[in-house]
Amino acid sequence: MKTRDQEYRELFMAEALEYYDSMSRHLSELERNPNAGPALNELFRLMHNLKANARAMGFTDLGEIAHHLETIFGLIRDKEREFSGALIKVVFAGVDALGSMIRAVGASQPLPDATALLENLDRVVRGEAPVLDEAEAGETEEESNRKMELSDLVYIQVKKLDNLLNLVGELVIDRDRIMTLAQELDNPALLATAQHLFRISDDLQYSVMDARLVGVGVLLNKFPRVVRDVASAEDKEVELTLSGQDVQIDRNILQIITDALLHLVRNAVSHGLETTENRLKAGKPVVGKLTLSAMTERDDVLLQVRDDGRGIDTEAVRRKAVERGLTTAHTAAGLDKEAVWAFLFEPGFSMAQKVTDISGRGVGLDVVKLALDSLGGQLRVDSEMGVGTTFTLVLPTSIAVKGALLVEVDERPYAIPLMHTDTVLALHPGQISVVGGVMVTHLHEQSVPLVPLRQLLYDEGVEPLPAANKSDIEGTQHVLVVNYNNRRLGLVVDRFMRQQNIVIKPLSKPLDTIDLFGGVTLLGSGQVCLVLDVPALTRLFLAKRP
Amino acid sequence: MNKRILIVDDSFYMRTMLKNMLTDAGYEVVGEAANGAQALEMATSTEPDLITLDVILPDNTGLDVLKNLRQIQPSAKVVMCSAVGQEIIVNEAIENGALAYIVKPFSEEKVLEIVGAALQNGASEQTA
Repeated sequence: MKTRDQEYRELFMAEALEYYDSMSRHLSELERNPNAGPALNELFRLMHNLKANARAMGFTDLGEIAHHLETIFGLIRDKEREFSGALIKVVFAGVDALGSMIRAVGASQPLPDATALLENLDRVVRGEAPVLDEAEAGETEEESNRKMELSDLVYIQVKKLDNLLNLVGELVIDRDRIMTLAQELDNPALLATAQHLFRISDDLQYSVMDARLVGVGVLLNKFPRVVRDVASAEDKEVELTLSGQDVQIDRNILQIITDALLHLVRNAVSHGLETTENRLKAGKPVVGKLTLSAMTERDDVLLQVRDDGRGIDTEAVRRKAVERGLTTAHTAAGLDKEAVWAFLFEPGFSMAQKVTDISGRGVGLDVVKLALDSLGGQLRVDSEMGVGTTFTLVLPTSIAVKGALLVEVDERPYAIPLMHTDTVLALHPGQISVVGGVMVTHLHEQSVPLVPLRQLLYDEGVEPLPAANKSDIEGTQHVLVVNYNNRRLGLVVDRFMRQQNIVIKPLSKPLDTIDLFGGVTLLGSGQVCLVLDVPALTRLFLAKRP
Repeated sequence: MNKRILIVDDSFYMRTMLKNMLTDAGYEVVGEAANGAQALEMATSTEPDLITLDVILPDNTGLDVLKNLRQIQPSAKVVMCSAVGQEIIVNEAIENGALAYIVKPFSEEKVLEIVGAALQNGASEQTA
């Protein structure tokens, strides 16, 4: 993890070396033409910047030398000194000393002593003759023996990294293909080369993914101000705590999640936290607590927004969901609290009593779901009345490669991102009951509806799916339990193939409108494999359940 | 609304440090310009509430940029940034409408204090 001090140090070094190279270039120009105006201006500016940066880093002597040289170039520019004779020697000695000091900073070594040089620079500034010794005579030779150094830091546009990542994605697909071919041909030399290619492209892929990672702090650090603004508009006192700023995540994922996080934070301050009056009544401290934290969990990054406010009123949400026609009163009564909370993320669902500037304009938490769905992320909600609410965004660290489970239906492979898979089950008919035309099994004391994936994929039209019949269930059923928005659904498939990292390619027109498929991937066999979109499958099941 | 700030400085190091300080404090940094031409272009396109302006820039002096800025974006508050030794230019900048100046190397508290005051000051001028 890179700390901010390290980052500043690297930036300082990169720029100081660049300045030093430009100084040398402009000095040679000045030697040829002692009155070159642009070169003098540049030298003046470079010294000025180096001085300011060195002082900010605490390199006092380095800053002092640059300061003296800045003054001297200013004097030459204003025709009060001439770039000639002993002055040239002292200036060169000064620039050389800057070079040695910058290199010493880079090597984390103590900076060389500059007392004698500073005294000489002082003399030149005052218009006195400098005191030269033999050391200064040898300077130019030393310079020619010195090795040239370029900055070891490069700044790069995100779109160039995007391009690189796409290319690596293509490469990985071809690699898998070659690997499979090599196994089929069973040629030892080809197999060895393919395995080497496999390792190298794996390394390449992770290096490219790594280059795109940034600290979550770049986003989290924007929030103190947001919280302050919302809190003051709502007349609330809020104490914000940030943690996990160093957790690394793909830059584009962070970009996509920005609005969602903003929404959750605004929501927490304006709805989650009670008014000062109500907090006092509830015997809570006046100042509401809001925590924004990031942490890693396996391959995922968790972003958490936690408040110590009123908590979600589950019964109110249940009533509102029925009022809005999102579910029937009968179904609603049987839903557990997690399933009820899921309604909060339906489009247009808002619990706000009054419309304020900050939130409650009907644009609800569904923006959070949309952003997460587009990334293949997950949302977890945890809440307790009177104690507070925690929203957890589960995000992939990188967008390039996703772990997926490959399943087979009618001899066709389908990939399901691991982000949405809970567990796989092999159920015998006795473990399955049929309730209201829907197959159901029990998992950890929770009932999970089951549906043949074949039916969801093949059944066109808006009519309900055919009702399941207990007598139709024959033999062991292979069930993949997926999870979306705290709703579990068991997909019955023909068989499980394997777990594999896949590179998802978006579907091109006109197929991109089929929302059941999140994209397509190529298997090593060269077979095209559709990637299933679990949110869309879940929605389809809910809409068409018998 | 977060106050929106444009940073003009030819040193990447300085810009980064300023940007971190300002964004940590909740300001939105809408752009970073490394020279006078970029500064004028970005001031027009981003319409910032405040501009931090380095005194010495590669293509022209901060003073020229300031004069142009005052014409194209009169509502933007300008705070000059300068290392010691440029007091004369800074004084001239204040006479030309800059609200304050920050002396490099700057401390975080100082930057936030001056920027905050400049934004406040501008606001009270507008309401008065």
